[in-house]
Amino acid sequence: MRAPSVPAVEVVDLTQRFGSVLAVDRISLSIPPGTFYGIVGPNGAGKTTTLTAVCGLREPTSGSITIAGHDLRTAREAALAQLGVMMDGLSLPERLTATEVLRYSAGLRGLDDGWRKRAGDLLEILGLDAVPRTLVVEYSTGMRKKINLALALLHRPRVLVLDEPFEAIDPVSAHAIEQVLRQYVDGGGTVVMSSHIMDFVERNCRRVAVVAGGRVLVEGPVEEVAAGATLNERFVDLVGADPVRPLEWLA
Amino acid sequence: MTRTLFALKLRLFRNGPHNERGFSLVAGLVLAALVVVGARLAARGAMHEGWVAVAVTVWGGMWVFGPLAQPRHDPSVISREWLRGYPLRPWRLARALSWTELLGVGPLITVACLSSLVVLAAPGGPAAGAIAAVAALAQLYLLVWAGKTVAALAAWLLRTRAGMTLAAVQTAVMLALSFAGWVPVAAWLLPQLGEGDTALVTPALGRLPASVTDLLATLPTGWGYAAALAARDGAGPGAVVPPLVALLAVGALLQLGWIALTARALRRPPRPPRPRRPAAPGRPPVSPLTMTPVSAVVARELATWLRDPARGVELRSAWLTPPLMALIIAFSEWWWALPLVGPAAAVFGAMVATNTYALDGTALWQPLTTPGALKADVRGRMAAWAVLFGLPSLALAAALWAATGSPVGGAAVGGALAAAAVGCAGAPLLAVVMPAVGADARDRIHPGQRAGDPTGGQMTIFPVVLLAAVLPGVLGGVAGGPRWVGVLIAVGLSAAVLAVTPVLTLRLLQRRGTALLDAMASRDAAVLRASTRGAS
Repeated sequence: MRAPSVPAVEVVDLTQRFGSVLAVDRISLSIPPGTFYGIVGPNGAGKTTTLTAVCGLREPTSGSITIAGHDLRTAREAALAQLGVMMDGLSLPERLTATEVLRYSAGLRGLDDGWRKRAGDLLEILGLDAVPRTLVVEYSTGMRKKINLALALLHRPRVLVLDEPFEAIDPVSAHAIEQVLRQYVDGGGTVVMSSHIMDFVERNCRRVAVVAGGRVLVEGPVEEVAAGATLNERFVDLVGADPVRPLEWLA
Repeated sequence: MTRTLFALKLRLFRNGPHNERGFSLVAGLVLAALVVVGARLAARGAMHEGWVAVAVTVWGGMWVFGPLAQPRHDPSVISREWLRGYPLRPWRLARALSWTELLGVGPLITVACLSSLVVLAAPGGPAAGAIAAVAALAQLYLLVWAGKTVAALAAWLLRTRAGMTLAAVQTAVMLALSFAGWVPVAAWLLPQLGEGDTALVTPALGRLPASVTDLLATLPTGWGYAAALAARDGAGPGAVVPPLVALLAVGALLQLGWIALTARALRRPPRPPRPRRPAAPGRPPVSPLTMTPVSAVVARELATWLRDPARGVELRSAWLTPPLMALIIAFSEWWWALPLVGPAAAVFGAMVATNTYALDGTALWQPLTTPGALKADVRGRMAAWAVLFGLPSLALAAALWAATGSPVGGAAVGGALAAAAVGCAGAPLLAVVMPAVGADARDRIHPGQRAGDPTGGQMTIFPVVLLAAVLPGVLGGVAGGPRWVGVLIAVGLSAAVLAVTPVLTLRLLQRRGTALLDAMASRDAAVLRASTRGAS
């Protein structure tokens, strides 16, 4: 058993280059277990690149990533076993139904029979049991987010890595996902998510990192980062927004 | 508007990937040069001119049957989706688009090939040469529009389940004719080969019968040839003008048809395509072994082969081709060759399975982030392949051996075993090494959508599996002794391949899996090649 003080996710000097482009520039994060952690930033800030590296889908140019004390480079399998992953814009086994995808995932991970109960609960709570014969390829964006979340939670991971979980989904689906994530964190799980929805981050996250240009501009408890303003106002202040001159032809 | 679309297409050519286009251009120009050289020889009287008619007919056939042979391939460069939002009349837009279809590698190499008509007509003087040039351009006009219309019809058909089956049947017929069509000819040349008699019947091939050249000249693909020859021979307007008018008239009609089909597509509101079939056809494959990692992958693979539209066409064609081949062989003198259809089935099975990772697309993230899943993924893909293609090919060889009592039956069974082992282990390996990246799995509803062109992988695995099929028989023959020697060699070869290849595939996936995922996310296989260069 590892000591509870071991961070759920520890990123040290993570750097990611794509040719001449420096997408992530020596980012360091230490995320305690049981934390709902938000990463916010403008498009192209390096959020998805960071999360992709955290869940082992990209080899960083330099730096180290540790998941619950397991180094992703030297103890990859042990680190991956702690993770539940929900990345934006990736396919699933598209020609399976929701139940079949969950059965496949349970088989792939060699889970014991308890997965059936968990799968049933997740399908019911996320409203996916209403379309038992629909293939994943026919799912709407919101349904995709939900089945991805169910997949990420099925094996009861210690850390959930979520890339834009609320992007382009309706408020009802967002509400269902939010409720499930709160229960997960209340149960001791750690959520690391990127989002553009400042309201959600402010409402749910305990800590937040504001990232821009591949660097962390500020990191800490949400209230401290917001510094008396709303997170959205503080974000615009930190990132900087060019004034928009009036366009006469729009009048 | 036409000028704007031409400029757009030129920019897309300039900024888009060049590999496939460059290969087609070079290969096409080489073939076209051969036809032109043939025409030059015919003009000098060193070769019968009927062979030029044959070459031009085959070339034209590629325009007409090419889109059917490649049901996954969407040749349009300018996406209809981009244009649908503009407030332009669909018919006007389609008409402008139609002229841009003349810009491309296909028309370029075809006009090079058809310049053989000018070479053929040159001895008739400058006027005959000029008429032949017009005939070449008119022939190009007809071929382009015949090809585009067939492609548009095929794309429309492929949106339906019946169309998928039709595409698979067409592919199977073409494959069966390509791979077994020579058997009746060979049986005619070597009628007693089954009895070990290699006496060859020698046909005269120097001059084609007049009836054959006349027939080729009456086909639409031969109208340009007919006009050029008539001009060379000074046959007068009565012989020259009708084929030219026919080329332009039929070409214009086909162009109108294409414009109508495209305008219809542009008129449809933008919406995600929905399959016209039940959501999950049939009961899902449920196995009592589903809870081990490998059997979970097998269940996923079996469902995907049966439900994915692109894989579905491939599966059907791989299953249909061997029976059609058997049918062709059964009606020839070489009935004794029937058991060889078994190894051929393994070859086709391997060819259709060389692109499964690219077809599954970015779903690779899941095995990449699940401990131990990559090994299960490789083994599961192999096991599913064995169930769908390997065991049936072995059973087919054995059944046809039993039915015919053929002297090559033992070699066929040994060949099927070795070919199945190499196909089983080699297809996932090639799927990792040579992915033909197309639209991601989540964006493909029907097989007409860009699913990647796996021709490179198929052409790579074809000789390898064929060699494996032949090797046990050849080595057994060289070694001499009883027939079981060949089977023993097949078993040894299979065991070695099945032991070594999956390990290699797994290592590659572990080293390059994330780069493969990147390539599929960006829809650019060059990302994978760059990562390979970087790693080395």
